[in-house]
Amino acid sequence: MPDHDVLVVGAGPAGSVAAAEAKRAAPELDVLLIERDPFVGTPVRCAEGVGDPGLREFADPDGAPWAARKITRVIILAPDDTEVKVAWSDVAWILDRTRFDAALAAQAAAEGVEVQVATEAVGMGRTADGRWAMRLRTSSGEETVRAHVVIGADGVETMVGRWAGLDTRVPARDMESCAQYVLDGIDFDADAIYLQFGDHIAPGGYAWLFPKSERSANVGLGIVALKSDGRNAREYLDEWIARRYAGGARTGYTVGGVIVHHTLKRTHTDGVMICGDAAHMVNPLSGGGIVNAMKSGRLAGRAAAAAIRAGDTSQARLASYHQAWMDLLGEAHLKYYRIKQALADLDDAFFNGLARTVNGIPSHKRTLGRVFAHALVRHPQLIPVAARFFV
Amino acid sequence: MAPPPLARARPTEVAAVDLAVCDRCGLCLPLCPPEAIHLDFQDLLIDRHTCTGCRKCIAPCPVSALAMVANA
Repeated sequence: MPDHDVLVVGAGPAGSVAAAEAKRAAPELDVLLIERDPFVGTPVRCAEGVGDPGLREFADPDGAPWAARKITRVIILAPDDTEVKVAWSDVAWILDRTRFDAALAAQAAAEGVEVQVATEAVGMGRTADGRWAMRLRTSSGEETVRAHVVIGADGVETMVGRWAGLDTRVPARDMESCAQYVLDGIDFDADAIYLQFGDHIAPGGYAWLFPKSERSANVGLGIVALKSDGRNAREYLDEWIARRYAGGARTGYTVGGVIVHHTLKRTHTDGVMICGDAAHMVNPLSGGGIVNAMKSGRLAGRAAAAAIRAGDTSQARLASYHQAWMDLLGEAHLKYYRIKQALADLDDAFFNGLARTVNGIPSHKRTLGRVFAHALVRHPQLIPVAARFFV
Repeated sequence: MAPPPLARARPTEVAAVDLAVCDRCGLCLPLCPPEAIHLDFQDLLIDRHTCTGCRKCIAPCPVSALAMVANA
């Protein structure tokens, strides 16, 4: 049975960063990174938007082949189509995830990580000596490998967490059902991302347009099924596109789930850590998860290396990973989650009114902080939102 | 296959997937309270003996690939 020190399941941003960090922190370790799909980075189940500062902690987007578009503006559309332009202090990027994920996996390989594609983890159990044995399946058959530490970076559908006995289930109200097309030949401001809210447009979520080039964009939406009128995400999206971008050619299509929950109560156990989407480390307000995945991967990789060097991969030792994540972003996500719950009670009329209020602020003064302050004065319904945020 | 000795009453309907429609996105897996849904070499499988018929996976499917069927 082949032995590894660290086995990372899933070569998305969380897994590739985790594997690379473990190897960088302890070059003597044998690190294996496995990916179910035959190509790292496909299929893309993502709107591909990411903030500039977080991205730069891991990769330089300037001139990179995986950086599709630089974004400098946000255009928010109220349910009644009132446009609000918000000045953005930070730049954002729209990625080409196929290339981006492949570049991260290549970086891991350059560190000395063994990368194996078309390899699916199908089951896992403890060995007599306290390691984990993972059954892997490839087109040529099954094999079992042993590892001291398993890092589960296996996304929304995480099985590693389940096999390790962690509760990775998601309440239905905290699952966004998403559908997205790549639309070519449509008109929009290619330096801006567009977000539209509304109970009839994307109940419980929002619709988005993220530019990939001058006339091509990821156009999608997410809904909470419990709030749907009976239609699925794809049907809501088809209606939105028919209304706003009817002439576009559909050159790509994807669906998927975004978990808008807070971080799992426990993301680790003996010899196991889970990170990224698998551990519910998505920003519950925005649904953004790429940078969070990489940050948690970095923490998990370093924790794995230190634990193996210390000869202690117990749950107590790996608790430092969970705590480091909670200090870094997990606690903030809990606050965002409370805001999300409060916003769920607000209706379209509120958002329409807020949009008009915000448009009364001169555009160069329209920062998010000032928008929030005005909203509190003009819309006392928001006070409970603010109260819950600061509690 | 014989039911486990302490099995609760069998649901009259259980969830089933239409693999011709399913996109294998994995969204339904963490929604399933008894963890009856699996991806098996990229095909979605629902364990009829574990499914409790709660329907929590049905509406969230972005392409409506899941439906309730009689638990024959």
